[in-house]
Amino acid sequence: MAALQLLVNGVALGAAYALVALGFVLVLNATSAVNFAQGDLVMAGGLLAVALAPLIPLPGIALLPAVLVLMAALGLVLALAAYLPLRSRPPVSVFISTIAVGIILQNGAAILFGPEPRAAPPLFGDDTLHIAGLAVPEQSLAIVAVAGLLIGVQQWVFARTQLGRRLRATAQDPEMARACGVPVTAMILVTFAIGAACAGAAGLLLANRYFVTPTSGGDLILKAYIAVTVGGWGSVPGAVVGALLIALFEVGVSSVLSYPVALGALYLTLLAILVLRPQGLFGEAVRRRG
Amino acid sequence: MRRALSLLIGLLAASTCLSPAARADDTLSFPVLVPLTGFLSLEGTSQRNGAVLALKQTPAGVAIASEIVDTGTSPEAAVTALERAAGGGTVGAVAASMLGTQMLAMLPLANELKLPLVTVSGTASITEQGNPWVFRFFPGDAVTKAAHARYVVEELGKRQPAVIYQTTAYGQSGKAHLDAAFKALGVTPVFEEGVDPAAKDLLPVLTKALAANPDVLVLHLHSGPTALLLRQAASGGVTLPIVAGSAMHQPSTAALLEPAELKGVCAETAASPISGGTPEVKAFTDAYRAAFGKEPDAFALGQYDGMTMVLEAVKAGARTPDAIRKALSSETFKGLAMTYKSDGKGNMAHSAVIVCYDGTSRVPALVKRYDDPTLAAK
Repeated sequence: MAALQLLVNGVALGAAYALVALGFVLVLNATSAVNFAQGDLVMAGGLLAVALAPLIPLPGIALLPAVLVLMAALGLVLALAAYLPLRSRPPVSVFISTIAVGIILQNGAAILFGPEPRAAPPLFGDDTLHIAGLAVPEQSLAIVAVAGLLIGVQQWVFARTQLGRRLRATAQDPEMARACGVPVTAMILVTFAIGAACAGAAGLLLANRYFVTPTSGGDLILKAYIAVTVGGWGSVPGAVVGALLIALFEVGVSSVLSYPVALGALYLTLLAILVLRPQGLFGEAVRRRG
Repeated sequence: MRRALSLLIGLLAASTCLSPAARADDTLSFPVLVPLTGFLSLEGTSQRNGAVLALKQTPAGVAIASEIVDTGTSPEAAVTALERAAGGGTVGAVAASMLGTQMLAMLPLANELKLPLVTVSGTASITEQGNPWVFRFFPGDAVTKAAHARYVVEELGKRQPAVIYQTTAYGQSGKAHLDAAFKALGVTPVFEEGVDPAAKDLLPVLTKALAANPDVLVLHLHSGPTALLLRQAASGGVTLPIVAGSAMHQPSTAALLEPAELKGVCAETAASPISGGTPEVKAFTDAYRAAFGKEPDAFALGQYDGMTMVLEAVKAGARTPDAIRKALSSETFKGLAMTYKSDGKGNMAHSAVIVCYDGTSRVPALVKRYDDPTLAAK
């Protein structure tokens, strides 16, 4: 029974991690840039929900459209300020610029909101359901449902729409896409917007149950990075599965051993994957010839 | 890289805080060097607010100046801030960071510069360096954890505590002192585990703690993790008494939880200004709310008391850092939270209180006061 209870919590946490990893991998695919501000974008989404809550006195789910739109706008600003001016420079330039953006977001949040931990309103309700002996918070169910819906919608857009095809073409080969008439720069902007919207949604989902502070994004970017590495560098399904595995690993190992051991084991596992299966669980092996 | 950038941005921000006005030669400066960004920004902000409120009480005939510098979380940033502050005219005393690692880095420099550091850091080792320039206006872990353990054992009558602590320096220090205090009381915890501050789900550690059949949960966690664990305990129907560390007394921690989730929860702290008390404490609380739009906590009150004692020394004629140090070392001061007196090492605070929540509000009631609780535990 305790194991089932932990599984429920792990899946809820993993669903939110999956949204973070998804936004991260989308930008990575489209630009080959590692966006190290992704965790801070999650924090920004959480604090945005906290700020909007008094203005929209409805359950937290009503805040989702506003959070998605505003965070998408922030993603556009991030792309215009920290990626596009540097895209012809070495990758480390973008790496550093996104770190700088993250620090600016942290300090801006600290100035605007103060350092106190805050909680966003629950998505639907704040009760705990008792199902077959399990205590399941409504918020956990809501996190899984909303994250699943957002991931599903995104996959449908990518697989079934003209925009999705253009985005995929940009991700696969920007030069070839441009030659075929795809507005690559616009697609990169859209990708950053979607990535930031995903992060914002994750922030809204996490901020009620796990709270949000200006510095709470730091560990999330590491989790996203590990999820993408485990799932397969550049693989969207891999990022989702990787995120779920990380959350279950975290909850499972810490329930049997301890948190410090779970954290150490997580990084050791990452190291092992990098050595033994660098393409991750879903990635494709690339071999050099000659 | 990220830390270096943080440091750079912090220093740039700090440079904008410096007063451009030239100071008169007879102006006494009281720099406030505290962590306003990073993982201790919540407590650092309280510290700053307490110092700022105290420094409004300008002694007659003395010109007072103060600058606020964010020390972030790195020791080198704190040392740099102290060096800069020392170059800004006659410094009377410094309101210094509550982050133990920063204090340890600043102590040798304070000794070299001969500047009193007035802090609310709880890290035990800062007053064990043989440094005559440090003054701690918050009870150290030796005091608070003794009160913590004594309340659990003597007042609640519990002898099977499960201890959940943070894996940070703060958590390790508190855990060590809890162990010592429980041992002195003839009690051995049935469960002890450290938790990383970044852990998002505390159900695993809660499940394991409950499996050890404790009769009380004893927490020594930071603000967010404390609230998270209490929420998960409440939603899981845990009915055991919970006695938390000082993070629980902070109004911002209680604000994360519904009053019902706080029912039966107690916490140790140095003081709880919002719980009321003397008219002077009420006046402080009202002034703090008016000035900062927030609720004060024990860190704010401790730093306020510390800087007030410094200003009392100035009022009595102390005009140099050494004269202020001598006054802090030898005088007894009746502050708002408690009466302060150095133990010869710079430990000024020797009292702790226990506060409890009744489940109907987020304002705790003072239920027990310990003056020098370590004496009885020895």
